[in-house]
Amino acid sequence: MLIDMHIHPIFYDIICENEKELGFRKDTFGVWKQGPMRFDELFAEMEAGSVDKAALLPLDLTTTAGGWVVNNDQIAKIVSVHPERFIGFASVDPHREDALEVLDYAFGTLKLEGLKLHPAKQKFYPTDAFMEPIYQKCIEYNKPILFHAGLSWEPNTPTKYCHPVAFEEVAINHPDLRICLAHFAWPWVREMVMLMIKYPNIYTDTSVLYLDSPEESIARVFTVDMGPLWFERSFYKQVLFASNGPRFRAFKIKRALDKIPMRDYAREALYSGNAIRFLKGEA
Amino acid sequence: MVVLETIQTMSHKVEEFINITGQVHRIVENSGVKNGMVAVITAHTTTGIMVNEGLPCVEVDIADTLSKIVPLEAPYAHAHFLPSYGATGNNSTGHIKSMFSGNHCLFPVIDGTIVCGGAQDIYLVEFDGPQARRIFVEVMGE
Repeated sequence: MLIDMHIHPIFYDIICENEKELGFRKDTFGVWKQGPMRFDELFAEMEAGSVDKAALLPLDLTTTAGGWVVNNDQIAKIVSVHPERFIGFASVDPHREDALEVLDYAFGTLKLEGLKLHPAKQKFYPTDAFMEPIYQKCIEYNKPILFHAGLSWEPNTPTKYCHPVAFEEVAINHPDLRICLAHFAWPWVREMVMLMIKYPNIYTDTSVLYLDSPEESIARVFTVDMGPLWFERSFYKQVLFASNGPRFRAFKIKRALDKIPMRDYAREALYSGNAIRFLKGEA
Repeated sequence: MVVLETIQTMSHKVEEFINITGQVHRIVENSGVKNGMVAVITAHTTTGIMVNEGLPCVEVDIADTLSKIVPLEAPYAHAHFLPSYGATGNNSTGHIKSMFSGNHCLFPVIDGTIVCGGAQDIYLVEFDGPQARRIFVEVMGE
Protein backbone atom coordinates (compact mmCIF):
# COMPACT_ATOMS: atom_id res chain seq x y z
CA MET A 1 0.00 0.00 0.00
CA LEU A 2 1.14 3.54 -0.72
CA ILE A 3 -0.32 6.61 1.02
CA ASP A 4 0.53 10.11 -0.21
CA MET A 5 0.28 12.29 2.89
CA HIS A 6 0.57 15.71 1.25
CA ILE A 7 -1.82 16.82 -1.49
CA HIS A 8 -3.37 20.26 -2.00
CA PRO A 9 -6.64 19.57 -3.90
CA ILE A 10 -6.75 23.08 -5.37
CA PHE A 11 -7.73 21.88 -8.84
CA TYR A 12 -10.20 19.08 -7.99
CA ASP A 13 -13.07 20.04 -10.28
CA ILE A 14 -15.76 19.02 -7.80
CA ILE A 15 -14.78 22.11 -5.76
CA CYS A 16 -13.91 24.41 -8.68
CA GLU A 17 -17.38 25.74 -9.53
CA ASN A 18 -16.46 29.32 -8.58
CA GLU A 19 -13.83 30.90 -10.87
CA LYS A 20 -13.15 33.80 -8.52
CA GLU A 21 -12.47 31.40 -5.67
CA LEU A 22 -10.20 29.30 -7.89
CA GLY A 23 -8.28 32.44 -8.85
CA PHE A 24 -7.86 33.28 -5.15
CA ARG A 25 -6.49 29.81 -4.51
CA LYS A 26 -4.00 30.06 -7.37
CA ASP A 27 -2.67 33.48 -6.42
CA THR A 28 -2.63 32.79 -2.69
CA PHE A 29 -1.00 29.38 -2.97
CA GLY A 30 1.23 30.45 -5.86
CA VAL A 31 0.41 27.88 -8.50
CA TRP A 32 -0.67 28.65 -12.06
CA LYS A 33 -1.05 27.16 -15.57
CA GLN A 34 -3.05 24.21 -14.28
CA GLY A 35 -6.81 23.77 -14.44
CA PRO A 36 -9.64 21.76 -12.88
CA MET A 37 -9.14 17.99 -12.99
CA ARG A 38 -11.80 15.28 -12.96
CA PHE A 39 -11.62 12.24 -10.72
CA ASP A 40 -10.60 10.02 -13.63
CA GLU A 41 -7.58 12.26 -14.25
CA LEU A 42 -6.73 12.35 -10.55
CA PHE A 43 -6.99 8.60 -10.22
CA ALA A 44 -4.85 8.05 -13.34
CA GLU A 45 -2.22 10.24 -11.75
CA MET A 46 -2.43 8.28 -8.50
CA GLU A 47 -2.27 4.95 -10.32
CA ALA A 48 0.83 6.05 -12.27
CA GLY A 49 2.59 6.17 -8.92
CA SER A 50 0.74 3.20 -7.40
CA VAL A 51 -0.73 5.61 -4.84
CA ASP A 52 -3.69 4.00 -3.07
CA LYS A 53 -4.80 6.88 -0.86
CA ALA A 54 -4.03 10.58 -0.59
CA ALA A 55 -4.33 12.98 2.33
CA LEU A 56 -6.00 16.23 1.25
CA LEU A 57 -4.93 19.47 2.93
CA PRO A 58 -6.96 22.69 3.20
CA LEU A 59 -5.66 26.01 4.55
CA ASP A 60 -7.61 28.62 6.52
CA LEU A 61 -6.26 32.11 5.87
CA THR A 62 -9.30 34.04 7.06
CA THR A 63 -7.47 36.74 9.01
CA THR A 64 -4.27 36.93 6.97
CA ALA A 65 -5.60 36.70 3.41
CA GLY A 66 -9.38 36.85 3.69
CA GLY A 67 -10.23 33.34 2.61
CA TRP A 68 -9.30 29.68 2.38
CA VAL A 69 -7.14 27.73 -0.05
CA VAL A 70 -9.75 24.95 0.01
CA ASN A 71 -11.95 24.84 3.11
CA ASN A 72 -12.89 22.06 5.52
CA ASP A 73 -16.36 21.51 4.03
CA GLN A 74 -14.83 21.14 0.56
CA ILE A 75 -12.38 18.55 1.87
CA ALA A 76 -15.25 16.65 3.50
CA LYS A 77 -17.20 16.84 0.22
CA ILE A 78 -14.37 15.25 -1.77
CA VAL A 79 -13.85 12.53 0.84
CA SER A 80 -17.57 11.76 0.94
CA VAL A 81 -17.51 10.95 -2.80
CA HIS A 82 -14.42 8.73 -2.65
CA PRO A 83 -13.69 7.70 0.95
CA GLU A 84 -11.70 4.75 -0.35
CA ARG A 85 -9.14 7.09 -1.99
CA PHE A 86 -8.94 10.16 0.21
CA ILE A 87 -8.06 11.12 3.81
CA GLY A 88 -9.43 14.52 4.78
CA PHE A 89 -7.51 17.02 6.90
CA ALA A 90 -8.89 20.17 8.50
CA SER A 91 -7.34 23.59 8.84
CA VAL A 92 -7.99 26.57 11.07
CA ASP A 93 -6.61 30.07 11.22
CA PRO A 94 -5.17 30.21 14.76
CA HIS A 95 -5.96 33.93 14.94
CA ARG A 96 -9.71 33.33 14.59
CA GLU A 97 -11.73 33.95 17.73
CA ASP A 98 -13.82 30.88 16.89
CA ALA A 99 -10.83 28.63 16.15
CA LEU A 100 -11.88 25.96 18.65
CA GLU A 101 -15.45 25.90 17.32
CA VAL A 102 -14.05 25.44 13.80
CA LEU A 103 -12.05 22.46 15.04
CA ASP A 104 -14.97 20.94 16.94
CA TYR A 105 -17.01 21.08 13.72
CA ALA A 106 -14.15 19.74 11.59
CA PHE A 107 -13.27 16.83 13.89
CA GLY A 108 -16.63 16.16 15.50
CA THR A 109 -19.06 16.69 12.61
CA LEU A 110 -16.99 16.43 9.42
CA LYS A 111 -14.83 13.64 10.90
CA LEU A 112 -11.67 15.04 9.38
CA GLU A 113 -8.59 13.10 10.39
CA GLY A 114 -5.89 15.67 11.14
CA LEU A 115 -5.01 19.35 11.16
CA LYS A 116 -2.94 21.26 8.59
CA LEU A 117 -1.24 24.48 9.70
CA HIS A 118 1.22 26.77 7.91
CA PRO A 119 3.05 29.03 10.37
CA ALA A 120 4.59 31.29 7.73
CA LYS A 121 1.39 31.77 5.77
CA GLN A 122 -0.81 32.02 8.86
CA LYS A 123 1.72 34.20 10.70
CA PHE A 124 2.30 32.49 14.01
CA TYR A 125 5.11 30.83 15.89
CA PRO A 126 4.41 27.27 17.02
CA THR A 127 5.11 28.30 20.64
CA ASP A 128 2.72 31.28 20.65
CA ALA A 129 0.47 31.08 23.71
CA PHE A 130 -2.71 31.14 21.60
CA MET A 131 -1.65 27.84 20.03
CA GLU A 132 -2.03 25.90 23.28
CA PRO A 133 -5.82 25.46 23.12
CA ILE A 134 -5.46 24.25 19.54
CA TYR A 135 -2.91 21.65 20.58
CA GLN A 136 -5.18 20.58 23.44
CA LYS A 137 -8.10 20.24 21.05
CA CYS A 138 -6.06 17.96 18.78
CA ILE A 139 -5.05 15.82 21.76
CA GLU A 140 -8.69 15.67 22.89
CA TYR A 141 -9.73 14.28 19.49
CA ASN A 142 -6.51 12.25 19.00
CA LYS A 143 -5.74 14.11 15.77
CA PRO A 144 -2.23 14.75 14.41
CA ILE A 145 -0.98 18.09 13.12
CA LEU A 146 0.85 18.47 9.83
CA PHE A 147 2.82 21.74 9.85
CA HIS A 148 4.46 23.27 6.86
CA ALA A 149 8.18 23.50 7.72
CA GLY A 150 11.18 24.99 5.93
CA LEU A 151 11.01 26.74 2.57
CA SER A 152 7.56 27.64 1.24
CA TRP A 153 6.93 28.65 -2.36
CA GLU A 154 3.70 30.36 -1.33
CA PRO A 155 3.81 34.16 -1.57
CA ASN A 156 4.27 36.15 1.65
CA THR A 157 5.74 33.34 3.74
CA PRO A 158 8.62 34.54 5.96
CA THR A 159 10.70 31.44 6.61
CA LYS A 160 11.50 32.49 10.20
CA TYR A 161 8.15 31.00 11.28
CA CYS A 162 9.01 27.60 9.83
CA HIS A 163 12.46 26.78 11.15
CA PRO A 164 12.27 23.25 12.62
CA VAL A 165 13.81 24.32 15.93
CA ALA A 166 10.80 26.60 16.43
CA PHE A 167 8.70 23.43 16.93
CA GLU A 168 10.89 21.74 19.55
CA GLU A 169 9.05 22.96 22.63
CA VAL A 170 5.74 21.85 21.14
CA ALA A 171 7.13 18.31 21.02
CA ILE A 172 8.52 18.60 24.54
CA ASN A 173 5.34 20.01 26.06
CA HIS A 174 3.00 17.65 24.19
CA PRO A 175 4.56 14.19 23.95
CA ASP A 176 1.12 12.75 23.15
CA LEU A 177 0.63 15.06 20.17
CA ARG A 178 1.84 13.66 16.85
CA ILE A 179 3.30 16.41 14.68
CA CYS A 180 4.73 16.27 11.18
CA LEU A 181 7.14 18.97 10.03
CA ALA A 182 6.64 18.58 6.30
CA HIS A 183 9.19 18.71 3.47
CA PHE A 184 12.08 17.52 5.69
CA ALA A 185 11.97 21.17 6.84
CA TRP A 186 14.22 21.78 3.85
CA PRO A 187 16.88 23.17 3.79
CA TRP A 188 17.29 22.31 7.50
CA VAL A 189 17.53 18.54 7.03
CA ARG A 190 20.11 18.04 9.80
CA GLU A 191 17.95 19.97 12.27
CA MET A 192 14.99 17.85 11.20
CA VAL A 193 17.00 14.70 11.87
CA MET A 194 18.03 16.05 15.27
CA LEU A 195 14.38 16.55 16.22
CA MET A 196 13.34 13.08 15.04
CA ILE A 197 16.03 11.27 17.02
CA LYS A 198 15.08 13.24 20.15
CA TYR A 199 11.29 13.11 19.87
CA PRO A 200 9.36 10.05 18.68
CA ASN A 201 6.22 12.17 18.25
CA ILE A 202 7.90 14.22 15.49
CA TYR A 203 7.54 13.10 11.87
CA THR A 204 8.53 14.56 8.54
CA ASP A 205 7.58 13.83 4.92
CA THR A 206 9.28 13.25 1.58
CA SER A 207 7.79 16.13 -0.40
CA VAL A 208 11.18 17.73 -0.96
CA LEU A 209 11.92 18.75 -4.52
CA TYR A 210 13.19 22.29 -4.34
CA LEU A 211 16.22 21.82 -6.57
CA ASP A 212 17.23 19.38 -9.30
CA SER A 213 15.41 16.32 -10.60
CA PRO A 214 13.41 14.01 -8.32
CA GLU A 215 16.19 11.40 -8.43
CA GLU A 216 18.87 13.96 -7.63
CA SER A 217 16.86 15.70 -4.91
CA ILE A 218 15.77 12.54 -3.08
CA ALA A 219 19.23 10.97 -3.34
CA ARG A 220 20.75 14.15 -1.94
CA VAL A 221 18.43 14.12 1.09
CA PHE A 222 18.67 10.39 1.79
CA THR A 223 22.38 9.81 1.10
CA VAL A 224 24.23 13.15 1.33
CA ASP A 225 22.35 15.52 3.65
CA MET A 226 21.75 12.42 5.75
CA GLY A 227 24.09 9.47 6.05
CA PRO A 228 22.85 6.65 3.79
CA LEU A 229 21.80 4.50 6.78
CA TRP A 230 20.42 7.19 9.08
CA PHE A 231 16.83 6.75 7.94
CA GLU A 232 16.51 2.99 8.41
CA ARG A 233 18.73 2.86 11.49
CA SER A 234 17.42 5.75 13.52
CA PHE A 235 13.99 7.07 12.46
CA TYR A 236 12.43 4.81 9.85
CA LYS A 237 9.13 5.07 11.74
CA GLN A 238 8.99 8.85 11.42
CA VAL A 239 9.04 9.67 7.69
CA LEU A 240 5.86 9.77 5.61
CA PHE A 241 5.66 9.32 1.86
CA ALA A 242 4.35 12.58 0.40
CA SER A 243 4.41 14.41 -2.91
CA ASN A 244 3.10 17.97 -2.36
CA GLY A 245 0.87 17.79 -5.42
CA PRO A 246 0.14 19.82 -7.50
CA ARG A 247 3.65 21.27 -7.20
CA PHE A 248 5.40 17.89 -7.50
CA ARG A 249 4.04 14.72 -9.13
CA ALA A 250 3.74 11.73 -6.82
CA PHE A 251 4.92 9.12 -9.31
CA LYS A 252 8.20 10.96 -9.76
CA ILE A 253 8.86 11.18 -6.00
CA LYS A 254 7.98 7.46 -5.72
CA ARG A 255 10.25 6.58 -8.66
CA ALA A 256 13.14 8.40 -6.97
CA LEU A 257 12.50 6.80 -3.57
CA ASP A 258 12.34 3.33 -5.13
CA LYS A 259 15.98 3.84 -6.16
CA ILE A 260 17.16 4.53 -2.59
CA PRO A 261 18.47 1.30 -1.02
CA MET A 262 16.70 0.45 2.22
CA ARG A 263 15.45 -2.64 4.02
CA ASP A 264 11.96 -3.87 3.22
CA TYR A 265 10.53 -3.04 6.65
CA ALA A 266 11.81 0.54 6.36
CA ARG A 267 10.28 0.95 2.91
CA GLU A 268 6.94 -0.45 4.07
CA ALA A 269 6.96 1.99 6.98
CA LEU A 270 7.85 4.88 4.68
CA TYR A 271 5.18 4.08 2.11
CA SER A 272 2.21 3.38 4.41
CA GLY A 273 2.87 2.14 7.95
CA ASN A 274 4.05 5.47 9.28
CA ALA A 275 1.08 7.30 7.76
CA ILE A 276 -1.34 4.97 9.51
CA ARG A 277 0.43 5.38 12.86
CA PHE A 278 0.62 9.15 12.39
CA LEU A 279 -3.10 9.32 11.71
CA LYS A 280 -4.33 6.95 14.41
CA GLY A 281 -1.54 6.72 16.99
CA GLU A 282 0.05 3.53 18.25
CA ALA A 283 -2.36 0.59 18.34
CA MET B 1 -13.45 25.44 -46.81
CA VAL B 2 -11.81 24.80 -43.45
CA VAL B 3 -13.21 22.46 -40.76
CA LEU B 4 -11.55 22.32 -37.34
CA GLU B 5 -12.38 19.57 -34.84
CA THR B 6 -10.75 18.74 -31.52
CA ILE B 7 -10.10 15.22 -30.25
CA GLN B 8 -10.09 15.02 -26.45
CA THR B 9 -8.29 12.09 -24.93
CA MET B 10 -6.85 11.00 -21.62
CA SER B 11 -3.57 9.20 -21.18
CA HIS B 12 -3.30 6.75 -18.30
CA LYS B 13 0.43 6.07 -18.26
CA VAL B 14 3.58 8.16 -18.06
CA GLU B 15 4.31 7.21 -21.68
CA GLU B 16 1.63 5.82 -23.93
CA PHE B 17 0.85 5.32 -27.61
CA ILE B 18 -2.76 6.34 -28.25
CA ASN B 19 -4.00 5.30 -31.68
CA ILE B 20 -6.30 8.00 -33.07
CA THR B 21 -6.43 6.76 -36.68
CA GLY B 22 -10.14 5.94 -36.67
CA GLN B 23 -11.12 9.25 -35.09
CA VAL B 24 -9.12 11.27 -37.64
CA HIS B 25 -10.56 9.34 -40.59
CA ARG B 26 -14.11 9.86 -39.31
CA ILE B 27 -13.57 13.61 -38.89
CA VAL B 28 -12.37 13.85 -42.48
CA GLU B 29 -15.29 11.78 -43.82
CA ASN B 30 -17.80 13.91 -41.90
CA SER B 31 -16.17 17.25 -42.73
CA GLY B 32 -17.77 17.77 -46.15
CA VAL B 33 -14.35 18.42 -47.69
CA LYS B 34 -13.91 16.36 -50.85
CA ASN B 35 -10.43 17.31 -52.02
CA GLY B 36 -7.69 18.92 -49.96
CA MET B 37 -5.52 18.19 -46.95
CA VAL B 38 -5.89 17.22 -43.31
CA ALA B 39 -3.54 18.36 -40.56
CA VAL B 40 -3.39 16.59 -37.19
CA ILE B 41 -1.73 18.82 -34.58
CA THR B 42 -1.16 18.30 -30.87
CA ALA B 43 -1.94 21.15 -28.46
CA HIS B 44 0.93 20.19 -26.16
CA THR B 45 4.72 20.31 -25.91
CA THR B 46 5.26 16.93 -24.22
CA THR B 47 3.27 14.83 -26.67
CA GLY B 48 3.93 13.91 -30.26
CA ILE B 49 1.91 13.13 -33.35
CA MET B 50 3.46 10.07 -34.95
CA VAL B 51 2.64 8.11 -38.09
CA ASN B 52 3.79 4.52 -37.98
CA GLU B 53 2.66 0.94 -38.20
CA GLY B 54 0.12 0.07 -35.52
CA LEU B 55 1.87 -2.94 -34.02
CA PRO B 56 2.71 -3.30 -30.31
CA CYS B 57 6.24 -4.49 -31.15
CA VAL B 58 6.86 -1.36 -33.23
CA GLU B 59 5.59 0.79 -30.38
CA VAL B 60 7.97 -0.97 -27.98
CA ASP B 61 10.94 -0.49 -30.29
CA ILE B 62 10.18 3.18 -30.81
CA ALA B 63 9.72 3.77 -27.07
CA ASP B 64 12.89 1.89 -26.15
CA THR B 65 14.95 3.69 -28.76
CA LEU B 66 13.68 7.11 -27.70
CA SER B 67 14.54 6.28 -24.08
CA LYS B 68 18.10 5.39 -25.09
CA ILE B 69 18.46 8.65 -26.98
CA VAL B 70 16.74 10.66 -24.22
CA PRO B 71 17.59 8.96 -20.90
CA LEU B 72 15.57 9.69 -17.79
CA GLU B 73 18.60 10.55 -15.71
CA ALA B 74 20.68 13.25 -17.36
CA PRO B 75 21.66 16.78 -16.28
CA TYR B 76 18.73 18.52 -17.92
CA ALA B 77 18.62 22.31 -17.43
CA HIS B 78 14.83 22.19 -17.07
CA ALA B 79 15.06 20.26 -13.75
CA HIS B 80 14.18 23.12 -11.43
CA PHE B 81 11.32 25.06 -9.89
CA LEU B 82 9.40 27.24 -12.35
CA PRO B 83 8.07 30.40 -10.65
CA SER B 84 5.55 31.07 -13.43
CA TYR B 85 3.98 27.65 -12.74
CA GLY B 86 4.58 27.34 -9.01
CA ALA B 87 5.69 23.80 -9.81
CA THR B 88 8.81 21.95 -10.89
CA GLY B 89 9.73 21.29 -14.51
CA ASN B 90 11.38 17.90 -14.51
CA ASN B 91 9.78 16.76 -17.76
CA SER B 92 12.62 17.39 -20.18
CA THR B 93 12.41 13.87 -21.54
CA GLY B 94 8.85 14.64 -22.63
CA HIS B 95 9.85 17.90 -24.31
CA ILE B 96 12.76 16.32 -26.17
CA LYS B 97 10.95 13.14 -27.22
CA SER B 98 8.13 15.30 -28.57
CA MET B 99 10.68 16.98 -30.84
CA PHE B 100 11.72 13.61 -32.28
CA SER B 101 8.10 12.72 -32.83
CA GLY B 102 7.00 16.10 -34.16
CA ASN B 103 3.85 17.97 -33.29
CA HIS B 104 1.78 17.18 -36.41
CA CYS B 105 1.19 15.08 -39.48
CA LEU B 106 -0.43 15.78 -42.86
CA PHE B 107 -2.37 13.63 -45.31
CA PRO B 108 -4.01 14.32 -48.66
CA VAL B 109 -7.79 14.11 -48.86
CA ILE B 110 -9.30 12.87 -52.12
CA ASP B 111 -12.98 12.11 -52.69
CA GLY B 112 -13.74 12.79 -49.02
CA THR B 113 -11.30 10.26 -47.57
CA ILE B 114 -7.71 10.25 -46.37
CA VAL B 115 -5.16 8.93 -48.84
CA CYS B 116 -2.58 6.92 -46.92
CA GLY B 117 -0.59 3.70 -46.91
CA GLY B 118 -2.13 0.62 -45.37
CA ALA B 119 0.41 0.57 -42.53
CA GLN B 120 0.10 4.25 -41.66
CA ASP B 121 -1.62 4.62 -38.31
CA ILE B 122 -1.81 7.96 -36.54
CA TYR B 123 -0.81 8.20 -32.89
CA LEU B 124 -0.89 10.76 -30.18
CA VAL B 125 2.17 9.74 -28.19
CA GLU B 126 2.15 10.71 -24.53
CA PHE B 127 5.56 11.53 -23.06
CA ASP B 128 4.53 13.17 -19.75
CA GLY B 129 1.32 11.51 -18.65
CA PRO B 130 -1.09 10.78 -17.30
CA GLN B 131 -2.88 13.89 -18.51
CA ALA B 132 -5.98 15.07 -20.37
CA ARG B 133 -4.88 15.94 -23.92
CA ARG B 134 -6.25 17.74 -26.99
CA ILE B 135 -5.49 17.17 -30.67
CA PHE B 136 -6.61 19.57 -33.39
CA VAL B 137 -7.74 18.06 -36.68
CA GLU B 138 -8.07 20.66 -39.43
CA VAL B 139 -9.51 19.64 -42.79
CA MET B 140 -8.82 22.15 -45.59
CA GLY B 141 -10.03 21.99 -49.17
CA GLU B 142 -13.11 22.14 -51.33
